[in-house]
This record gives sequence, C-alpha cells and structure tokens, in this order.
Amino acid sequence: MLRTRLTKGMLMLPILVYTAFSAGPYLWTAIMSLRTTDEIYRSHYGLPIPAHWVKFYVAWTEFGYDVYFRNSAIVAVAAVILITIVGALAGFGFARRRYAFPLRQPLFLLIFLSVMFPPQIMILSLFQILIKLRLFNTLPGLILVYVATEMPITIYLLRAFFAQIPQELEDAARIDGCTDWTMFWRVMFPIALPAVATTFILDFIYFWNEFLYAVVFITQQEIRTLPLAIQFLVSDQYQDIGMLATGLMIATLPILVMYLFLSEWFVKGMTAGAVKG
Amino acid sequence: MAIDQIEVPQAPPAVKVRKFFRPPQQRRPWGPIALFLCPALFFYFAFIIYPVLVTFFNSFHILRQDLGLTYQFVGLQHFKEILAEDEVFWKAAGNSLTWAIVAPIVDMPLALALALVLHAKVPLARFFRTVWFTPLLMSYPVVGVIWLWVYNYDWGMANLVLRAIGLGSYAEAWLANPATALPALILVTTWMFTGFHMVILLTALHTIPQEYLEAATVDGANRWQRTFRIVIPLLRPTLVNLIILDFIGKMKQFALVWVMTRGGPMRGTETVATYVIKRAFEWKTLDLGYPSAIAVIWFIIIFGLSFALMRFLQRREALEF
Repeated sequence: MLRTRLTKGMLMLPILVYTAFSAGPYLWTAIMSLRTTDEIYRSHYGLPIPAHWVKFYVAWTEFGYDVYFRNSAIVAVAAVILITIVGALAGFGFARRRYAFPLRQPLFLLIFLSVMFPPQIMILSLFQILIKLRLFNTLPGLILVYVATEMPITIYLLRAFFAQIPQELEDAARIDGCTDWTMFWRVMFPIALPAVATTFILDFIYFWNEFLYAVVFITQQEIRTLPLAIQFLVSDQYQDIGMLATGLMIATLPILVMYLFLSEWFVKGMTAGAVKG
Repeated sequence: MAIDQIEVPQAPPAVKVRKFFRPPQQRRPWGPIALFLCPALFFYFAFIIYPVLVTFFNSFHILRQDLGLTYQFVGLQHFKEILAEDEVFWKAAGNSLTWAIVAPIVDMPLALALALVLHAKVPLARFFRTVWFTPLLMSYPVVGVIWLWVYNYDWGMANLVLRAIGLGSYAEAWLANPATALPALILVTTWMFTGFHMVILLTALHTIPQEYLEAATVDGANRWQRTFRIVIPLLRPTLVNLIILDFIGKMKQFALVWVMTRGGPMRGTETVATYVIKRAFEWKTLDLGYPSAIAVIWFIIIFGLSFALMRFLQRREALEF
C-alpha cells in the first residue's frame, strides 16, 4: 500500500512539471490581459489586482476587435455550415452501395490522398484564380477556399460513419416509401449526427484559427480575421503588451469556453482526423 | 477511431423482401448520385485539383504580377536554378527537414511517457488531459505571440525559469541567436502537439486487452517488461501514424515562423513554406512561376519521403488507407 502510494507520488512529479509547462504560458497571458501595460512593465509576473476588466471593452471598441471578431465569426460559421452540408451529402453518396458507379472508388482515393497536399501547391494558383473570379480580398472567397481545403478530411470521416449504418435499415426505410432525399435527410443524417458533430468541431476550430490562406488572400484591414489581425497588431503595437494580451484572450476564449463544457467532444473532434490520416 | 466509437443504432428486424424490392438489374440512380456528390466534387475540382494542375503549369513559366500575370514559357529553367543555385531554398529545405525529423523524435517519447503515466490511474487524470490538450485549440498567431513573450530576454518565462534554478548563465535571446532560434520554435510545436499525441496514445492504451498484461504478470514479467515488451509494441501502429502525421505537418510549417521570426535571424528559421510566400509576394521579382516550381519540388519531396517513411516504419503492417 505504502509502495503504491510512493510510486503514485513519484508519477505526480513529471505530471505537475508538464502541467506547469503546458498551462503556464497561457495563464500568464490571461493574467496580463487584466493588467495595464504600465503595471506589466513594473512587474511582469504580478497578479491582476485590481483587475481591469474594462480592457476587454476597450479592445473591443477602440482596437477593432469587434470587426475582427465579426469577420472570423462570419467566415467560420458560413464555412462550417457549407462544409457540413456538402460533406455529409458526399460522405453519404460515397458510402452507400446503392450509389456505387465504376469510378467511385478511385475518385474517393484521390480525394483521400489530397489530405496530404501541402497548401503551397495550391495557394499561388488559388490567388490567381480568386483574382480572376473577383473573389480576392473578399470573405466569400476565403470561405470557398476554406470549404474546399477541409473537404477531403470531412468526406473521409463522414463516409466512414455512413458506411457502418446497416443495409437493413436503408432497405426498411425504402419499403416505407423513402425517396433518396428523404432517406438521407430524414433517416441517415439524424443517425449520423454524432459523427457530424465531431467533423463540425474539427472544421470550426480549423476555420477559426486558419492563418496561411488568410494572410495571402486578405490584404484589406476591414476584413481581417482574428489570427490575421493579431499578426498585424504584434508588429504595430509590440510595446502595448497589456492590450495585446487582452486581444489574445478575445481570440481564444470562444473556443476555450466551449471546450470547458464540451471537452470530450472537442477531443473527439480534433483527434478524429489523426488516427487513420 | 474516435468516430468508430460512436454507437450506430441497430437496424430493425431484417425484412425479407429485399430481393423482391431491389432487383439486381436495377438501373443506377444517377440523379441522386449527382445530387449527393456534385457539390463536393465541384469544390474539390475547382479549388484543389485545378489549382494543383495550374501550379504545375505555372512552374514552367515566368508569371509577372506587375505585367498582368502574362505567361512566358521558360521550360525547366526554374527547376535548374532552384536545385543548382538557390542557396536560400537549400537552407529552407534543411530547416523544414530538421523540424520534421526532430519534432517527432521529441514529441513521441514525451507524449508516450505522459500517456503511460496518466494510464497508471493517477488522480485527476481527466483534468490533466484536458489541460495538456488545450494548446492545440489556439491559432498559430496566438501561440506565436505568447511564445514571443516567453522567449523575451529580460522578462520572459524561459529565462526566468533558468535564472530561478541557478542556470542564469544559460539565459539567451532565444529567437535572436541563429543557433537557438530553430530549436526554440520546435519546442513551441512540441508544446502545441504533445497533448494531442498523448490523447491519441491514451485512447490506444485503453484498447489493449487487460488479459495480455495479466498473462504477462503470471509469467513473471515486471512493470518495465510489460511496458516495453507488450504495451509499446501494441501501440506501434498508432505511433507510426502519429509520426507520419507529425512529419508531414512539420514539412508544411508556415504560420509560427511567419508570426515569430519571419524566417530570421539570418534565415535560421526560414522554411520552404515561408520562402515560397516571400518569393511570391515580397521579392521584387514579382514572379509567381519560380515559387510555384519550389512548391512543386516540395510537394514531390513530401510525398516521396512520407511514403518512404511509411514503408520504413510499417514494414509488416498493411498501409492504413
């Protein structure tokens, strides 16, 4: 008994060290977000007493975070809705035996393979294409690119789920008079909701955080998303650490607060793509 | 795996009219097939396959942005120049490759150790898991800014810790020194991804049948032998997947460098991805063809090395497609 306690105690040491490493930098930032830059320069590791909650209001109204937040929200929400609909349709179409046709399997493999494509192989010509379509420097252009780049992994994951649903269920529904559309929308999609939720979370976090495409396709200040805005604010107001820390909290809190309540789902969503990919 | 764990509702009792209902010669339902697949295929071909082909095409041309993107054919000239003369490319390729090789070597043992420790039923395991996973949910710019502060010479956490434990002489301007900048950035990706790798390994650990370990105990295997002879070999397929995924991810690394060092100091952290973007939009050449050729070369290298790595690591295991 004593021996197990001792081993457990020894195991706790690396755990605590790693936890400090893992959580330390973000907690430090969170504390700084409630302190003014003057206070921070006096002591970088002081506690937020008194806590300046007003900084969040100031960042929101005077430093443009309201605009950046809105842009990020528009892009992430629109893209995630679009990709969920399109991805679920395709996942269903690729999964069920009824919709098989000769080139379906090679086509699916090609889509799966593109999960590995480095963005650089597309980004310069996408730049060219978006200019031609007059979608360069617009949020819709960014949304279309986001949907396309997350499409392969979304289809892959949803297909895997739709493929598991027993054929008997489909047959039974068809006897009851289901057309292909009602089969998808009334029968299969509701069953697949847990899987859809995982891809929804995976895609949403990707869209909320995406940086590379945003940095190339958005050059106007008014339509910057949060990650893009932070990169510019870092060079513009590097000295104003306090305000930047507040901005970082605004950019991360929506995801982290949701994570607090739905951590199992988030972990499931974020790791879904990794296991076979 | 995560998705496989979601329960699929079972079918109602089998109905035996299936054959009658769906004759084998039934014609293909092209209408519904088109309805389900066309939207996705539109996105896929318009914004992935077509751009990839255009990039290949562009790599044989000079494509000046100041001249309205008109094409001038140059054949293999870009490729020759990149491979034979472009020192920045080789420097960047070396950095990207270093990152892609070092990161898994650091990440995996750490993640494995943490997973094994959490698996030993320590108290608050769920809490620790939740905390360790958190960095993955932040964007690269956010992470980059936080770590710019951590690495600050005067008041950053890194030097603070060194000074606190009496190693103040090792305090360093981590990102300003060409020798330490790349390792410093690699540590940041370790910070981001270790929790993620740990969670996946932990899930795999839970699937190992308890009987295996009990049988080994009966045969007299101690804790270490059980870990190294049974548990780790059983985790191997998962580890291989994670290593390959980590490798590919690091070969593409862009954002962290862009926010933290812009490739400096003295190109010490330049990656192929940052070089492509710089070459396309920051150099006075204003040419999209040359960076496209770099992208093509890197695309081929990533695919080649990933498959080589898969074959090397998987050996007997089947490719997991």
